[in-house]
Amino acid sequence: MNVRLESLSLTTIVMPEGRLDYGAAAGFQAQVEQLLAGAGTKLAGVIIDCAGLDYVSSAGLRVFLLAARASQRAGLSFAICALKPAVREVFDLSGFSRVIVVYADRAAALAHTPQGPV
Amino acid sequence: MNTSLVGRAVQSVNAPVRQLAQLLLERDGPYGQTFENLILALIVLSLVSVGLETLSGLPAWATLVLKVGEIVVVAVFSFEYLLRIVAAPRKLAFVFSFYGLVDLLAIAPFYFAGLDTRYLRALRVLRVLRVLKLQRRVLENIVAERTRELAERNSALMQAQAQLKAELDIARALQIAILPSKFPAKSGCDGAARMVPASTMGGDFYDFIELPDGQVGLVMADVSGKGVPAAFFMAVARTSLRELAMHHAEPAACLARTNDVLCTQNPMELFVSVFYGVFDPATGALRYANGGHNPPYVRRADGSIEVLSGAGGLVLGVMPGVEYQSLTAQLRAGDRLVSYTDGVTEAFNHVDEAYGEERLIAEVQAHGDGSAEALVERIFRSLTIFSGTVPQSDDITLTVLTWHRPNLGEVPLAGLQTPSVPAAGQ
Repeated sequence: MNVRLESLSLTTIVMPEGRLDYGAAAGFQAQVEQLLAGAGTKLAGVIIDCAGLDYVSSAGLRVFLLAARASQRAGLSFAICALKPAVREVFDLSGFSRVIVVYADRAAALAHTPQGPV
Repeated sequence: MNTSLVGRAVQSVNAPVRQLAQLLLERDGPYGQTFENLILALIVLSLVSVGLETLSGLPAWATLVLKVGEIVVVAVFSFEYLLRIVAAPRKLAFVFSFYGLVDLLAIAPFYFAGLDTRYLRALRVLRVLRVLKLQRRVLENIVAERTRELAERNSALMQAQAQLKAELDIARALQIAILPSKFPAKSGCDGAARMVPASTMGGDFYDFIELPDGQVGLVMADVSGKGVPAAFFMAVARTSLRELAMHHAEPAACLARTNDVLCTQNPMELFVSVFYGVFDPATGALRYANGGHNPPYVRRADGSIEVLSGAGGLVLGVMPGVEYQSLTAQLRAGDRLVSYTDGVTEAFNHVDEAYGEERLIAEVQAHGDGSAEALVERIFRSLTIFSGTVPQSDDITLTVLTWHRPNLGEVPLAGLQTPSVPAAGQ
């Protein structure tokens, strides 16, 4: 799995690509933790854009949960967007889409991300 | 008399001399290195003096210095030679050994005064061999020592690894052993299950729980992740669920309480998807709740497949206070309930294609008429053929429950009248 980062003025967009399975989960988790640890005061929100994510296993889901919690602790807004149908199915089946905000696309996620420190 | 005196003298002299030899001759001794350097320096010095002596017209004082130098060199060499003889465990063997002869040749010419011994003295260069040999031996010793240390560490590491593997194997065997190997003996139904963990310790589990009122609790669950943390979480989840099932007749309430317990005992922030059903073997009624697990299939006696509705409840362990929904399904004679973990549908083949629900449904449809055990066996065989040589990446767990109306003679009429079965559809 490959992860790209894109920094907007107050929001960092994380773009995981490929398969987020047990083998990839630990690496992805470390990347997200590193991002949040270095967030500082300039960052207001984190969006995980899943447009390039083909598959997520339960171990991968756990990283989304940990990221959501860590963002909350850091006082950042957190959102997920652009789930492919196979990934959406896993989010729905596990009940995750009930506890993590999922937007249809990046524009919708950005529209709901605060434009100043929260 | 005479010999015994000499013997005693040798005896009394022997011990201190041996000690001295140890101090000077052994390289690891306190003065070994210094003594060896001294000998080396004297060898070089005497070779230089042999060269100088060949020059004609040396001043008298120089000739004197060379002579005195020669005497000192020979004295030290002679002292060393005698010391080596005394120190040698087999003295004759030493005298006639190559180095023994070289040492003797180095000093013998001096004692044959009158001969031109310069060329013989040049043989002293051979003495350098002893030093070189010593150095090589020291190097070899160092290499041997390092090799031995490495081998020791390697073997300790291998031992630790073997021990760790043995313990993990035991833990894995225990994990499988705590799962029920048999479906509770109930008239009218039959069940079979299999869990094949991936290479590491897994987090899948299933359970058949005999409930107080003659019903059977059916559990199919999958902990996020793998390895020891997942296995521990699995053990806590299974134990909690089993315990709470005894006190909560409603599947939804049972899942909700299990979730609350798991949320307080979850340092690794893992979670587990759980399908929990309460089956009444007397009536074929199934009440169930689903905490984020793949919905099981009901295969009707005619071969049609229905997916149990009500999926999408939150997996357990994420947050306390979550409510679940209890739903009902009615099995009819000849129906089967097939539950599984995603290890089945997400088994991959060599072209990275997933086994998928379609293949699973096709197997269940085509081969669901026999016993529960036969269907489990059939699906695992199909999975094995599909995966080929691709290693199993996730635990694979499957249970099948078959229901056929119990023998009327055995049916407690009260069982049919029990109002414990909610109306179909909810």
